[in-house]
Amino acid sequence: MNFLNKLVPQVALEVQQLSKSAIHTSAVCCRVQSGRYRITTKRDRPLTYEMANPPHFIGHRKSWNSWNTSTLKDSLRPSQTAIEDLFIRKFVTGTWHALVSSEIIIKRQHNTIRIAALIRQAISPRKMYFLIGYTEELLSSWMQCPVTLELQTVADKKDVVFKYI
Amino acid sequence: MANSLTRFWGQGSLQKHVVQTGLRGFSSQQNPEVEEEEEFRVLSLRTVKQQFQKRREVKKDPVTPPRSNRMAVDQDWTAAWPGPRSFHPASVPLPLRQGFTERGAAAPSKFANAELMKIPNFLHLTPPAIRQQCEALKKFCTPWPKGLETEAKWQRHFPVEVITTDYLQALPTIRNPEARRVTVSLKLSDLKFDAHARDKFLRLVGDRYDKDTDILTFVTDRCPLRKQNYDYALYLLTACYHESFVTEPWEATKSEADMEVYLFGRNKSKLSAEEILNWNAAEGAPKVEPSPSYGQSVEQLINEGENEYNLTKYKEEVKKMLNIASQ
Repeated sequence: MNFLNKLVPQVALEVQQLSKSAIHTSAVCCRVQSGRYRITTKRDRPLTYEMANPPHFIGHRKSWNSWNTSTLKDSLRPSQTAIEDLFIRKFVTGTWHALVSSEIIIKRQHNTIRIAALIRQAISPRKMYFLIGYTEELLSSWMQCPVTLELQTVADKKDVVFKYI
Repeated sequence: MANSLTRFWGQGSLQKHVVQTGLRGFSSQQNPEVEEEEEFRVLSLRTVKQQFQKRREVKKDPVTPPRSNRMAVDQDWTAAWPGPRSFHPASVPLPLRQGFTERGAAAPSKFANAELMKIPNFLHLTPPAIRQQCEALKKFCTPWPKGLETEAKWQRHFPVEVITTDYLQALPTIRNPEARRVTVSLKLSDLKFDAHARDKFLRLVGDRYDKDTDILTFVTDRCPLRKQNYDYALYLLTACYHESFVTEPWEATKSEADMEVYLFGRNKSKLSAEEILNWNAAEGAPKVEPSPSYGQSVEQLINEGENEYNLTKYKEEVKKMLNIASQ
């Protein structure tokens, strides 16, 4: 129905009036595409476990990437928490450039933020320690709360690949 | 020439030679040796292929094998995993697997498994860890006061119940506006009243009193802080209690029409009953009063309405008062 509304506003109006009075039946027009990956002809697109399971499996086959209480009923700051999580994700993927090989998991407990991710072993441990301290320090000064990075390293990119499609 | 000079300056031990060469430098004779040493620079107009430079090899530290391989079987797990932390496969010596796979395939192992890192774990709250923490906390505990073992016992000493809520949340702030709410409740039977005060108190508190459970409840949330709300609730209780004992001058003007219940004591029926009982009594003889049970039955009859039970009871009372023998 959405594409109709966009195309012809008059039709949309009529449809609206119609739908008020009668039962509306039609084929499902809404296409669900987000969080799904298309199969390539060569079948060589690597997918992690997280990517291999589409969003409707969240809570069944895979789990949430953000863990906090702000989406419970009558909780405070749901929108701010979501924006902050987005910012943390952007910042971490940018700081650990081309090293993050999984989704960034953000867990909030009381006032602490714990960030977990899988990191490729492409840089020396010394640089990694620097980046951990840098990320924690900057994020905690922006978020005004302690931030802890809990990283796990993988030797190769292919370690996280679940399947190829 | 100058080149050779500097070369010699670099060698501190050969100061003698330096002086000599310096002297030689001032002479008009050219030094054939030095000329031979100097490289003849060729003017190259075309770019020559640069010599292949050996790349410095990046020293890579060998990746250490997982810590769990070296863990003793009887190690102190609380030291290995002291606090809440995301799962780390190298620190947990358990052959865990997590994830959904097609039928027949093994689930993904614990290494490079993001699902295991997502779910909250309680590896820091193993029974020995809890026991340790309890032991550490024990020295701060005090024994339970004597004489307050059961609920019936402590309710006599602490009749007022105060209910507040603390909110734990995953936010940078620890404040929650809902935490200001304070509920103060107590049984009305714990307060001492006379008939007038009780009536007035119940009028003052209105629907804060639950008649079925006999519990009075004050909920305060108008102040921003919990302490202020608690103080306000106690103030309300105190003020209402003391105000109920004050009799205003206008309260005396309450007429029979204003009464909400029928009271035997202040009505005509009492006078009539007295008249009947004191019929033909001698002058100065003590006045005979109608029995309180008669008054009760009259009140019941009028307040609750006429039903079979009330009517029968009234009949019995009247018979008793007038000394009519029942058949």
